[in-house]
Amino acid sequence: MLSALVVVPLIGALIVGFFPGVLSPALSRLITIVFAAISLILTIVVGAAFDLTHVGFQMEEFLPWLPDLGLNYRVAIDGLSFPLVALTNLLTLLLAFNSSVGLKPGTELQRPRLFYSLMLLVNSGVVGAFVAQNLILFFLFYEVELIPFYLLIVIWGSDKREYAATKFLIYTALSGILILAGFLAMNWLTGAASFDYGAINTTDLSRSTQLVLLALLLIGFGIKTPLVPLHSWLPDAYVESSAPVSIMLGGILSKLGTYGIIRFAVGLFPETWVSVAPVMATIAAITVIYGSFCAIAQHDIKRMVAYSSIGHMGYIILGTAALTPLSMIGVISQMVAHGLILALLFYLVGIVESKVGTRELESLNGLLNPIRGLPMTAALLILAAMASAGIPGMVGFISEFMVFQGSFPTFPVQTLVAILGTALTAVYFVILLNRTCFGKLDSSSAYYPRVTRTEYIPAFVLTIVIIFLGIQPAWLVRWSQVTSDAIAFVF
Amino acid sequence: MPNIVEIAVSDERFSTLVTAVQVAGLVEALQSPGPFTVFAPLNTAFEKLPAGTITSLVQNPPQLGRILTYHVVSGKYTKADLEKLSEVTSLEGTTIRLNFKKNEVKNATAVLTDIEATNGIIHVIDNVILMGP
Amino acid sequence: MTQTLTPPSTKIPPSTHPLAEVIHRLEAGGTMLPDTPENLMQIIGLYKAYAVPMDFYWRDLLYIAEQVFLDPLPWNKYLISEEYLDRENHYSGDNADLRIWRGCGDAHPELREFMAQGELKKNLPRILHHLWHDRINMEFAEECMRSMLWHRDMYKPWNQFDGFLDTDEYKQNCDRAIKAYFKGNPAMLGLYKLFPDLFYEQCRQMSYYSNLGLFWEVMAPVFFEMSDLYDEGKMTSVPAAMDFLVNGIFAIAGRPIYHHVYIKGECFEIIPKSKGFTWLYEAALPYVEAVFYRTSPFRGTKSYNAQAKQVPDNQPEFHFGVLYADKFPVGTAGIPPTFLAQDMLHFLPEYLVEYYKQHCRGEDDMLVQLAVSFQRSMYCVTSAVIQALRAALLYPLDDEDPEHLMANRQFFEAQMDRFLRPEARIRDIQTQEYR
Repeated sequence: MLSALVVVPLIGALIVGFFPGVLSPALSRLITIVFAAISLILTIVVGAAFDLTHVGFQMEEFLPWLPDLGLNYRVAIDGLSFPLVALTNLLTLLLAFNSSVGLKPGTELQRPRLFYSLMLLVNSGVVGAFVAQNLILFFLFYEVELIPFYLLIVIWGSDKREYAATKFLIYTALSGILILAGFLAMNWLTGAASFDYGAINTTDLSRSTQLVLLALLLIGFGIKTPLVPLHSWLPDAYVESSAPVSIMLGGILSKLGTYGIIRFAVGLFPETWVSVAPVMATIAAITVIYGSFCAIAQHDIKRMVAYSSIGHMGYIILGTAALTPLSMIGVISQMVAHGLILALLFYLVGIVESKVGTRELESLNGLLNPIRGLPMTAALLILAAMASAGIPGMVGFISEFMVFQGSFPTFPVQTLVAILGTALTAVYFVILLNRTCFGKLDSSSAYYPRVTRTEYIPAFVLTIVIIFLGIQPAWLVRWSQVTSDAIAFVF
Repeated sequence: MPNIVEIAVSDERFSTLVTAVQVAGLVEALQSPGPFTVFAPLNTAFEKLPAGTITSLVQNPPQLGRILTYHVVSGKYTKADLEKLSEVTSLEGTTIRLNFKKNEVKNATAVLTDIEATNGIIHVIDNVILMGP
Repeated sequence: MTQTLTPPSTKIPPSTHPLAEVIHRLEAGGTMLPDTPENLMQIIGLYKAYAVPMDFYWRDLLYIAEQVFLDPLPWNKYLISEEYLDRENHYSGDNADLRIWRGCGDAHPELREFMAQGELKKNLPRILHHLWHDRINMEFAEECMRSMLWHRDMYKPWNQFDGFLDTDEYKQNCDRAIKAYFKGNPAMLGLYKLFPDLFYEQCRQMSYYSNLGLFWEVMAPVFFEMSDLYDEGKMTSVPAAMDFLVNGIFAIAGRPIYHHVYIKGECFEIIPKSKGFTWLYEAALPYVEAVFYRTSPFRGTKSYNAQAKQVPDNQPEFHFGVLYADKFPVGTAGIPPTFLAQDMLHFLPEYLVEYYKQHCRGEDDMLVQLAVSFQRSMYCVTSAVIQALRAALLYPLDDEDPEHLMANRQFFEAQMDRFLRPEARIRDIQTQEYR
């Protein structure tokens, strides 16, 4: 079952990419939608079969591969990975539905087959990484993302795409090397029989060895997350990518970083993690404040959203550092919430860019104008910004509140600083909304094309999910409650 | 010497003007001692106006009278007097711009000047002049 | 810029004004609007769409000025009587003083149909349509009237209407009307005794109702006739449309402007016809100045900050009229112009509906598109006024005398100076990109 989640998009990617003969753009889009939909349906089936009371991994599938090397194909799922798998498959389907978001008016998606193929490949790889139960298998899936994303940025990106893509490649490759080094060292130093998660036990290693190994993982995953000061690839990569790729980067890929930190740094080095937690909490608080201030200073709304994403990743690290049951539920919820909200924000910014032709705060104005503006897009943008700023009633509030509530007893100062960050979130979103949505529509340029229904559907779906999970958070929390308790009580 | 009205009536070229003055009920006024200076438009001047203008004016004597009184100035100004002035005030109440060195009264030209009458003086112009700056 | 016209003569050097191209076009007998078939179609279509509600405006304005008068609670002032709908226009129909439009003299058939059925297309009692706001909106007409009342002293001393409102003669006329109107109403008469100026001011407003009603009584048939000529293929260029307007202005320049009030069947001449007030000087020119150029910041959701100098200190510098208006934020630019656009929407000719469907957002932003076309058509009307003033006060365009041509040039340049402020839309209307 879980293997199907990995294999289905992979088959889709192969069909769209290598099917002999001509596939029209519409047909390749349709095939992608079908495969993404199958994945999502499978996810729902997995969700239905998911045992909410079961502690640890379930639905394990095992296939010996190279047992002598300790390499096994072992996949399973728990309350940490399932919400992320669901998020990934949902976003992939929505993006397959409308991949032209963010394109300039009148242009069409270039090389649609390659694009859709890479998108499904990314989906397959990310899901594989989430369900993998073997360090090397995880690493393979993790690295498989690298080239598709490089291509997605460098082919469909904007003006500075080569620079951004190369920077992304270098940073992520470095991240991969550090993680691989950490994984191999763990295996060798502990003398484990295989690379399976369950086989690794680091508690016998000396404290300093553990610290070195942990540092390797933290830097590796910290780059991916990203944490300040390892973040500098992110704004370029997010901004230079086309809108769908930005959504994949921010909504899907960045979750691999935090997932890795929770799964490996916390899961495999529980005691050492606790000792470095104050440092991590401080870094998290700095990340929040830094991201928010940078966002305030931006003139490009996409860059603003990109920096806001950095800030929001800080909450996840803060909650992880605190490692209380409540903060861990908050962390998992925040990963989903961040993925949904960031995807909506990037999506709407993409619509604005494709209709208005600019992302500059100075040029945008009066988008709420009911007749000549983009009133529905602007309204959804306001809603997304409110969700991102943690306004009650939407999923962002629930997760942030749980993170803060859970972290405060452990790291009061860092938590208060991070709470200050949410206030700053409101600041830059008010700047963004005030300049773009309100004011007088610029009458010399306001001949924007209409936003079509197709373009709205993904935004509506995301909005509904964001509001639904905000009003009924139990639907989000129930998946991860047992797992997060287990992670928090692991030490 | 004849008065202003008598001069106008005796000259065929002023027949439209005479009719207009009669309709507007200004005959008596122009026969009074005055003295007046009259800028008298020729028939050809009225013909330059778009069709309908005269019709609607004739239907409304007070409005016609107002246009006509704009062509009349209280006092007796000869060509020599007018040459020294840049504007005069009409009986209508507003001023008439003058450039009499070139024989110009607003955008009209005085084709014949200094026709003496008992109660004033007549300058013949080739355009109906209208109120305005 | 779609076309470049050279000056008609080489007797004077080309203008160095920033809007020299427009000035040269005016000197060649053209309009501020470039002469293109697309422009012609838009302005004529809008004249027609404007004329139908205008046919209601003038009737209701006169109804209010003559019948409703000082009613302190004028609930029914928009529910015009049949008598005023049947009233013969002085410039159209068989009994016209001067027949400008060849059509009927009473209310336009499309107007009657709309008043009976409204947008709902249902024959309901008029009061229900009214309460549902499914009606011709008088707010724009009243806003224009208030503009004229508020921007007093325009075109002084040539405009004598305004000065007359402050004379004792006017007050005496009002006095008689007020006493007759409130006969048997000691409360209002007592109030009048205490605050006579309050009542005189209301009378002045009523006089401007009458003024504007008499002005539009002329314009409606003019626009109807232009639309008919266009449909018959007899009006083929923008300058031809302007010339028609210029001739119209001269033809009815002498139409009397007055204010009569009918109280219990008796006529009170508050401003008698014998004052000699004319359509051109006492209505048309002040109207153009007040409505096309100045008006005031319209009430609406857009607020103006007077401290930030968004509203000029001096009334003559006001620039909120149709020639400067930002037509994009419909509904936020101000309520009265949006109402006008809504009124015109009901009477657009087919060819314009088709045209708008092909551009921008089609039916969704037709209000904006027609408002921009309306702006173009009003630039044409303003051109006609400028050319008429030039013809009345200055010299023919083909004059031989270079000094005369120079005087014309200076006049045109002075007119164009008013469009140098950035809000003016004259540069926008030079291309079709502005819609």
